[in-house]
Amino acid sequence: MKVIAFVNNKGGVGKTTCTKLMAEYLSKKKALRTLCIDFDPQCNFSHQYLQMEIDPVAPEGLMPPIHPDYDPMDPEDSGWDGRSSIAEIFYGEGVVPYPTYVDKLDIAPGHAEKLLTAESVRRSEVVEKVHKQLAGFLNSPDVRAAYDVVVIDTSPSKGPLTISVIKAATHIIIPSVMEEQPVQGIYGMLQLWMQESLLREKSAPLKLVGILPNMFKQTRLHRDILESLQHSDAIGKYVLPVKFSQRIVFAEIDAADSAPRSIFDFPDQHVAKIEAMEVCSQIAERIYHE
Amino acid sequence: MNKKKRFHISDALTRGLRDTIQIAESNTDLFRNVVLPLSRVELDPDNPRQLAICLKDVREGIDPMDSQFARKQVELEKLEELAFTIKASGLINPIVVYKSGEMYRVVAGERRSLASILAGKQEIDARVFSEKPKGFELKLIQWIENTAREDLSLAERLDNMRDIVKEYQRQHGSVELTATLIKSITGLSLSQSSYYLAALQAPEDVQCHIQNGNIRNLDKAALISTISSADVRSQAMAACLQGASLKQIKLVISQQKSLHKNKLPLQTEQRGRTTVKIQMGSTAKPQVVKTMVDSILNQSEYNKYLTTFAQVDWMDLRQTTKAFRKLVEILELEMA
Repeated sequence: MKVIAFVNNKGGVGKTTCTKLMAEYLSKKKALRTLCIDFDPQCNFSHQYLQMEIDPVAPEGLMPPIHPDYDPMDPEDSGWDGRSSIAEIFYGEGVVPYPTYVDKLDIAPGHAEKLLTAESVRRSEVVEKVHKQLAGFLNSPDVRAAYDVVVIDTSPSKGPLTISVIKAATHIIIPSVMEEQPVQGIYGMLQLWMQESLLREKSAPLKLVGILPNMFKQTRLHRDILESLQHSDAIGKYVLPVKFSQRIVFAEIDAADSAPRSIFDFPDQHVAKIEAMEVCSQIAERIYHE
Repeated sequence: MNKKKRFHISDALTRGLRDTIQIAESNTDLFRNVVLPLSRVELDPDNPRQLAICLKDVREGIDPMDSQFARKQVELEKLEELAFTIKASGLINPIVVYKSGEMYRVVAGERRSLASILAGKQEIDARVFSEKPKGFELKLIQWIENTAREDLSLAERLDNMRDIVKEYQRQHGSVELTATLIKSITGLSLSQSSYYLAALQAPEDVQCHIQNGNIRNLDKAALISTISSADVRSQAMAACLQGASLKQIKLVISQQKSLHKNKLPLQTEQRGRTTVKIQMGSTAKPQVVKTMVDSILNQSEYNKYLTTFAQVDWMDLRQTTKAFRKLVEILELEMA
């Protein structure tokens, strides 16, 4: 089972969009049973697929809606409040993924309050536990039997949540806008990748699929920064030969009432679909045929 | 001069990116650095260092009925000093372990492990080898970790080195042990290697003193070991045991040697022209000549020459030389 994560500790570089496109590509185009996970307390990714609700305990935080399979009358569901997020792994509860409008694609949504709590732990023993928790969950026989691939959206941080994802992942992709500050985010992520690599056994490496230029505009700034990354001897080979351009359509489909809901349901000639196919197939190629 | 603005990422960032990638790519999988729960750490019974104190003593306290109670108590006090620094500033170097079933066995870092337990730590930084290092590598790691330590006795260091050599010879056939070989195995300097070689091949009496802890210094042990004459060796040893410095021991040896040389029948090489005369040698001490002259003139048959030498200034080298020649002349005359 591959575990693919989009990571960058700078916000606004398009992690959520990339995660969504990749998850839909793998489930729709590759027919893989896909689980996507929202590990960002902001829960933007969950909101793409579920009608997230305001958590009454933390007014600004979101929580998952009642699960469609929840039946208060069913004795099996007693002791469950009908909501389930990926954050349950930190509280010893089971995770019940939600179906999405895409066939074969399930989501384990975020839960703002619970994820923030996990992110803010500082005591070393607890941090250790948080770090290992996601890997433990994804390695469980149930998850391995139910899914072929897992795609994870992460929070813009280098904290325990992101480290937990790095420890659970088999492949990471670093999306970045071609500007100085997001490129510094690349550096932060490469540091995590390096540290984790040194801990991994050779048989279970953490592969860096590459740096994905995102929200690219044909401006001198973006072109020059991209070029200087491509021409750097060590970094160059990790810069993916494809990129996502800055397109309003990627934002438009996020609206719940957009139609179609997925870029992959657009006509084949649509420029955004062509680009999404190019990028996602390139990433899939690197992951599945290395 | 309407130059277009060019953009690039900063040199520092480029360098950071490149270095990070290179470190990650060069991961050799030889070992991994992790944080281990101390409850999963156990000591290696084959470690050349022989601490009497064990995990149980540290965890549960030393049993007063223990036959080694006193020794363990001393060790425990030393460990507590280390524990104090660990509490204050943590562990500087990770211990080295390998996985042995459910447990991690300490290759290097016994004292650090025990002291960390004393310091109340739950976990310890460790470098984990994926498998038990092979005999030779294992001994070598322990050796390298241990040589950096001051509290290891010379006997322990030599035992350790002996194990390494034995292990090396087991793997590579019995090659002749030379300083160069020790140098190539351990990476020590050639002079250090030759000291070790000498100490390893020390005669039994020296070995005995090393074992008893009477000789604690490798240089001294090596120096004394190379003395072939048992007499001179025991003199040098005596000086060493009285706390003589390396220089002083060397002086004792050279004195003893020259003393010894004179006892031996003089052997000269039979080469070149036939020797027809005796060279009388030379000395910078006029006293030597005066002593010879006096002792000869003391004999009754030479008494008559007393006046010949009465005027000699024995402080003057030229006069003394003349006097000596005169003496030889007289002797030849008398014996003709």
